[in-house]
Amino acid sequence: MFDPGRPLTGVRVADLTMIWAGPYAAKILADQGAEVIKIESPRAWDNIRTLLPPPVAPGEHWWNTNFYFHEYSRNKKSLSLDLASDDGKAIFAKLLGHCDVVIENYRTDVMDNLGLSYEWLREQKEDIIVVGMAGFGKTGPEKDAVGYGPIIEMMSGMTSTSGYGDDGVPYKSGISYGDPIAGVCAAAAAATALIHRKRTGQGQYIDLAQREVMSTLLGEFYMDWSMNQRLPEHTGNGHDWMAPHNVYPCAGEDEWIAICVRTDGEWEGLKRAMGSPEWAERTEFSDQILRWEHRQELDELVSAWTSTMSKTDVFDALHLEQVPSSPVWKMLEALQEPHIKARGFYEPLRHPEVGIWAVHGWLWRTDGAGPCILAPAPEFGQHNAEVLGGLLGMSYEERSALEAAGIIASRPEGVPLASEMPATPSML
Amino acid sequence: MSEHDQSQPNVSRPYDGVRVLELAEGISGPYAGRWLAALGADVVKVERTTGDPSRAFGPWPDDLPDDETSGLFLYLNGDKRSVTLNLDTSDGREILHELAASADIVIESFEPGYLVDRGLGYDALSKDNTPLVMISITPFGQTGPNANLPATELTLYAACGQMWLTGHPDRPPLKNGGSQPSYQAGLNAFAAISGAYYGAVMHEQGSYIDLSMRETYAAMAEAFHTRASQLGIETQRSGNNLNALWGVYELADGYGGICALPRNYPAFAEAVGLPELQEDRFADPGQRLLNNDELMAIMFGWFIGQTREELLQLGIENRVPFGFVATMEDLTNSEHLHSRDFFAELHDDRAGSLTYPGRLWLSNGHDWKMGRAPLLGEHNVDVIHGELGYEREDLVRLRELDAI
Repeated sequence: MFDPGRPLTGVRVADLTMIWAGPYAAKILADQGAEVIKIESPRAWDNIRTLLPPPVAPGEHWWNTNFYFHEYSRNKKSLSLDLASDDGKAIFAKLLGHCDVVIENYRTDVMDNLGLSYEWLREQKEDIIVVGMAGFGKTGPEKDAVGYGPIIEMMSGMTSTSGYGDDGVPYKSGISYGDPIAGVCAAAAAATALIHRKRTGQGQYIDLAQREVMSTLLGEFYMDWSMNQRLPEHTGNGHDWMAPHNVYPCAGEDEWIAICVRTDGEWEGLKRAMGSPEWAERTEFSDQILRWEHRQELDELVSAWTSTMSKTDVFDALHLEQVPSSPVWKMLEALQEPHIKARGFYEPLRHPEVGIWAVHGWLWRTDGAGPCILAPAPEFGQHNAEVLGGLLGMSYEERSALEAAGIIASRPEGVPLASEMPATPSML
Repeated sequence: MSEHDQSQPNVSRPYDGVRVLELAEGISGPYAGRWLAALGADVVKVERTTGDPSRAFGPWPDDLPDDETSGLFLYLNGDKRSVTLNLDTSDGREILHELAASADIVIESFEPGYLVDRGLGYDALSKDNTPLVMISITPFGQTGPNANLPATELTLYAACGQMWLTGHPDRPPLKNGGSQPSYQAGLNAFAAISGAYYGAVMHEQGSYIDLSMRETYAAMAEAFHTRASQLGIETQRSGNNLNALWGVYELADGYGGICALPRNYPAFAEAVGLPELQEDRFADPGQRLLNNDELMAIMFGWFIGQTREELLQLGIENRVPFGFVATMEDLTNSEHLHSRDFFAELHDDRAGSLTYPGRLWLSNGHDWKMGRAPLLGEHNVDVIHGELGYEREDLVRLRELDAI
């Protein structure tokens, strides 16, 4: 029975990705129904498992529990396998015979150093699809540069476009924006290559540079440089022609609402929402160009209105008048606000050691699809027996020998239990 | 002349022969359609008779507004064919039905209900075309109390949570540059379409997808939402510096920075070379976070002495995550990006010489088309007369009825 929400059912992915960009891609493939086998070495596991030490990561087996790891690895399987060893590599070669896609986001040189070049991968499976996601790509003079999301954001041009405008400082976004962008694109690349394979019988190698993907989100700025040799100005939260167009303070601490007016009709709506104040009838606010020219004064007057009310009361008044607006939701609020709740965007994730918490479900909704979250992120090596025994037919004795030799493991090597650890500060 | 790829021997692209109907305006849908076109699909862009509103957005060469030279439109619509249709006329709707009969993929971004009200929803379009994949891209999705609330880039930043996290802690929340809510939605739509189309090819069964820009963007808020839900902790925005080794600093000739995880520290300390970085209070990961302010002061002093290019090279030589805030000028001139054939370089008769991102990735299995965007209604004759079989007199009548 075809599940429209899981069009990649039947596709098997060997997932060598770490941290964020790659795991985000593999998460999308797993949500779409692919069997994603996350492969980590007993001595080189996905660093995000242990980035947040206890008590931020709850439970005794804290390398399995933190929210960060679960955000990107739900619906995946875990195989612990040392790819640097000959035995591990031989098992990986066998596994590749059962895989359609290999995905990795290592530094440019790592796969080759491990002896896992594209040529070698192809020898194991001729029509294999390989997606490599190095930050700067696999070729070119800057191929050996390394970077996480914010570096990608800086080097892509994104950061240069953003800032308050009065201090000359470019601002990065508050998240590692480069990572999920590359991840979404890599998921698209894998599916595209699967289509291509279905039609031609051929696999391919995809060299996806995270910086380049991010840079494609800046088309109009490239065009302005080509056409007018002009670089973007920092305009804070302002706009080229809309006014009001800003975030306005509301009652309480650090409470804000975004309001934008695009047309005279929306201006009339804003006026009604504000209770039709006299100042709004002044000549300098009578058309869009005038309002834009007097935007600073307009911002002060709108702020005087918003600052006496809660952001949800302001939003309700503006929603009624169909004026584009939204509270600046904080994280705890964004999980709970009425619209997102009605949509069921967040789904419960159940974990034996943590309990239940909410994570986002389907990135997009397909008619007829069931729930998105079928399993929490896997415990380290949770599916060793299933993959090695079930898929590759290795006996219990063989697997025990591998475990004794440290080729596979059920726990990252050298990581103490939470109760054995001293208190350590955490990055987040 | 049509730039529609008729037949190019020896070139195989993943979406060769795939017909896409793009009923989308602005940025998000056209961005997705653009890559399908570059990968071989025949993307028929259905524009309202006055054109995609993005034709009325700059930049323009020499700041002279012209519907055929909008930089935004030219960027987002390469290699597509343009057909104009007025869906408020019965003739326009009929032609759309005929086009949909041969379509594999439909991308639309109308307000929820718009197409269904005109008898052009997924059920109607897929009735005799069950493998059809259709995606609707809207600010808040097809359902829920905000479904029909008008939105802008700014209100979407605010709604999804990104804005709360961005900007200086002592100043208002700040938006990113450009139109990120729309662009990221377009990229997600491309991923959604490629997965769903694979399913359609394998099972001859299509699907209908409801994509909410607010949701795809919220999912990108790193782990901050799930930090809130697992631990009940709010996250404050941290401006340009999450900590001393994660942020943007002023350099001698601009801005740049570092984003290092604990495991990058030894290489970082070696590359910077200041002896105090080897001391336990900084070298030990736990103590480092407790002495963050002191370390950050040292880093401000060190970065201001570096140039952008020196910093990048130091990072490359030592495998340290250093980078600089690159401008459009830097990127357009980047030897690295040119060596990887990242750019489309096009001479447009009206818009002049243009250099802009022309592909998403490199592949040994296919290339990318990097052709020009269509004029408004440029392919009305090709498509409506040539393919659907309307007579030329019909075209005259359709024009006079304001249907095309």
